[in-house]
Amino acid sequence: MKMSMFPRILLVAPIAIAAMQSSFAASPSVTAVLSDSQPAVGQMVQLEIKVNGANSANVPEAISIDGLEVHQTGTSRQFEMHNFDVSSSVTYNYTILPLKAGKFKIPPQTVRVGNDSLRTPELVLNVAQGSSSSGSSAGSAQTGQSTVGSKVAFAELVIAKKDAYVGEMVPAEIRLGFDPRAHGRLQEGPELSGQGFTTQKLQQPRENLETIGGRTYQVYTFKTAIAAARPGKFEIGPVTAKAAVVLPRRPSAPRTTRPRSPFDLFNQDDPFSDPFFSDPFGSMGERTELPIRSEAATLNVKPLPPNAPPNFSGAIGNFTMAADAKPKTVQVGDPITVTSTISGRGNFDRMNGPALEDERGWHKYPPSSKFKQDDDVGISGEKTFEMVLAPNEKKQAVPPLVFAYFDPVKENYVTLRSDPVPIQVEGGAAQAPGVAAAPATPTATVAITPAPTAKPQDILYQLTDLGRVRSFTPIYERPVFWTAQLPPLILLLAFIGWKIRRVKIDNREAQRVAALQQESTELLRKLRRSELSPQEYFSNASRVVRVKTALAKNINPNAVDAETAAKAFDLGEHERAQLRTLFDRSDELRFSGSGNGAKTISTDEREEVLGLLESLRA
Amino acid sequence: MKTRIALSGLALWLVTAPFLMGQPAAQFAKANQEYAAGDFKTAIDDYEALVRAGQDTPNLFYNLGNAYFRKNDFGRAILNYERALALDPHHPESEANVRIARDEARALELVPTQSERLFAFTNENQLVVTAAIAFWIGMFSIASWMIGRSRSALALSILSLSIFAIAVVACYQLSHGKNGPGLAIVTGDKVDARLATADNANRVLTLPAGSEIKIVSQRGDWIYAALPNNLRGWIPANSAEQVRF
Repeated sequence: MKMSMFPRILLVAPIAIAAMQSSFAASPSVTAVLSDSQPAVGQMVQLEIKVNGANSANVPEAISIDGLEVHQTGTSRQFEMHNFDVSSSVTYNYTILPLKAGKFKIPPQTVRVGNDSLRTPELVLNVAQGSSSSGSSAGSAQTGQSTVGSKVAFAELVIAKKDAYVGEMVPAEIRLGFDPRAHGRLQEGPELSGQGFTTQKLQQPRENLETIGGRTYQVYTFKTAIAAARPGKFEIGPVTAKAAVVLPRRPSAPRTTRPRSPFDLFNQDDPFSDPFFSDPFGSMGERTELPIRSEAATLNVKPLPPNAPPNFSGAIGNFTMAADAKPKTVQVGDPITVTSTISGRGNFDRMNGPALEDERGWHKYPPSSKFKQDDDVGISGEKTFEMVLAPNEKKQAVPPLVFAYFDPVKENYVTLRSDPVPIQVEGGAAQAPGVAAAPATPTATVAITPAPTAKPQDILYQLTDLGRVRSFTPIYERPVFWTAQLPPLILLLAFIGWKIRRVKIDNREAQRVAALQQESTELLRKLRRSELSPQEYFSNASRVVRVKTALAKNINPNAVDAETAAKAFDLGEHERAQLRTLFDRSDELRFSGSGNGAKTISTDEREEVLGLLESLRA
Repeated sequence: MKTRIALSGLALWLVTAPFLMGQPAAQFAKANQEYAAGDFKTAIDDYEALVRAGQDTPNLFYNLGNAYFRKNDFGRAILNYERALALDPHHPESEANVRIARDEARALELVPTQSERLFAFTNENQLVVTAAIAFWIGMFSIASWMIGRSRSALALSILSLSIFAIAVVACYQLSHGKNGPGLAIVTGDKVDARLATADNANRVLTLPAGSEIKIVSQRGDWIYAALPNNLRGWIPANSAEQVRF
């Protein structure tokens, strides 16, 4: 039974809608994060409360904490659709201004989503005095207003720290804000200028509405991270961008005559006081290209301390390490894949893999790595290194892996050391003393006498015979090789020539045989007729004998006589006599003339001759 | 007159030939004595002089490799063992010593491709000879078949030309593989392969002495090479030497 398209759609659509609704209906969850947990007094911190699985929620407009000034600044919503899985989230942004130093707890906040009541986790803010090195954004953030003034657009560079170490990844945000009435559209940038540092690629901006200084702005936030290449005091920025905005047309009348915009409550010279915005159909606004530029920020970059551990390869941040090896049982020389995972936050792009604490007795191959980032800019995540090792001798464990990094918070180097991974290596020589420490075994109670250090393997002896001089040139590039191809080539040509000649000869012989066979057949056909004279009859009959003998013995038919023919066909006495008589009669009639003897041949004689001729078979 | 000149030339050759032919052997023996006496530097000089004189023998490169090994110059030791093996792929002493030198230097090796591993039992020259023999047998068989239409000739031609094709493909794979003409050995210690031809360019891999690389191209004082970790990078031209002259 066939179903038409329309009923099918009717059937599928509710299922799809139901699936979408079920996605929407997934139980909502809430998270809360701080942009910096260790700001200094006066340095602003961003608080994000994100509600997943909902597109609206009731959140507290202000959070009251003694010593902190918390204000809600804006809301952003996100919808994502993957195949039929639709998800939505809403993010509420707050700014926190620490007013005094100390440890502050931001208590769980109640968020109402429909009939559900959710609670954010408790957050802790450690506020240092104003001189703290791990300062937050406000101290180092520079806000630059566009040339139009504070009303249309602004650019802001927010750097999470004032002080950093060489190579340390410092999170940074570029914020571009537009008055929503200007319909700002970014045309170029933003670009972060400056020298002596590298920046991570800017990600897609997050967009939200924020109220700044009593005005609402559409704010685009680009996240990145900055790493300084050398110590010193750096100017980061300014951030530059170009945007297209819609501005009111120039007033033709003196300003005093223009009525004030309802937005310009405080008479702040708001360009949107133009009548265009109160009556868009009354006159035209103009789209203008607007350069936006922020102030530069300063970053004080310190060199790394000199006492770096030997395995330090430039990793800066805060990391943990886990290691494993597979397979656990191998033969000497077989590969073992050692996997180590470095997780945490830091400059993963400059990180080399952990090193073996003791490489003796192992053949090591270069590691490969893959990075899985947890954030937008790649400073948080886990990097997995795979290193192939082959034991040169019996071993009981893969030696510990060592990974050193610099912790900018503790301001010292940290060396992580994994546990030895027990393995079993079979075959080969016993493990040399002093090689990689193995885990304790039940046999460890045996007294160990100090053994001399293992002597390295020695090379083989010198050879006394100089030997024959050889060439590095491959044989196919040597003239002698191609010269050596000439004899077989000549031989091949000769072989082909010989074969062709043979064929030609065989063809001639075949032609001769065919002609003789045809002659024999033709003569026999004539002999069966009765109109032949005796001379012709016996002449033809003897010719048939000659031709048949020639075919049988591959000889000239003219050279055949009665005896040759009799021998060729191995005839008996009677047939021999008949053959002789046939040849004699033929000769007689040929040489004595046709007048002698009878004019015709009897039927018996004819039958006898034909019988003789047909009996001649090799 | 001509006869006299020819006879004089022959006499001169007869007198000088044993001396000329014996000279490399004598120098080789002298270098061996210097090596035995522990004078590795002089032994190296003498072996190198023989190499410069064109005495490309596996034993000479092997002994030279040993002398460098004694000087703890593992990069050049491995280079010369590899040269011995390039001339004689089954030189047992070189095979043994190159393994020891690699272990000492912790040298990195290029990873052979699957096809190289498949044809590891043979070498380019053997494959070329096999291909040539199979080619000619195939050609003769084809000629026989075309003239005589013999089935056995046809079967033999198909078999021979299949062997020829396999040998040619294998030869191509080996000549473009890790042991091909581009093979070079890092002679400097801890040579950094970089992303660009600059000393401060980002590092791709640090190569211990004796590591194998495959030269892809050369630009000025820099070599662009395939590295043991399957990546490519630029290294200074004076820090690696090609195995084949």
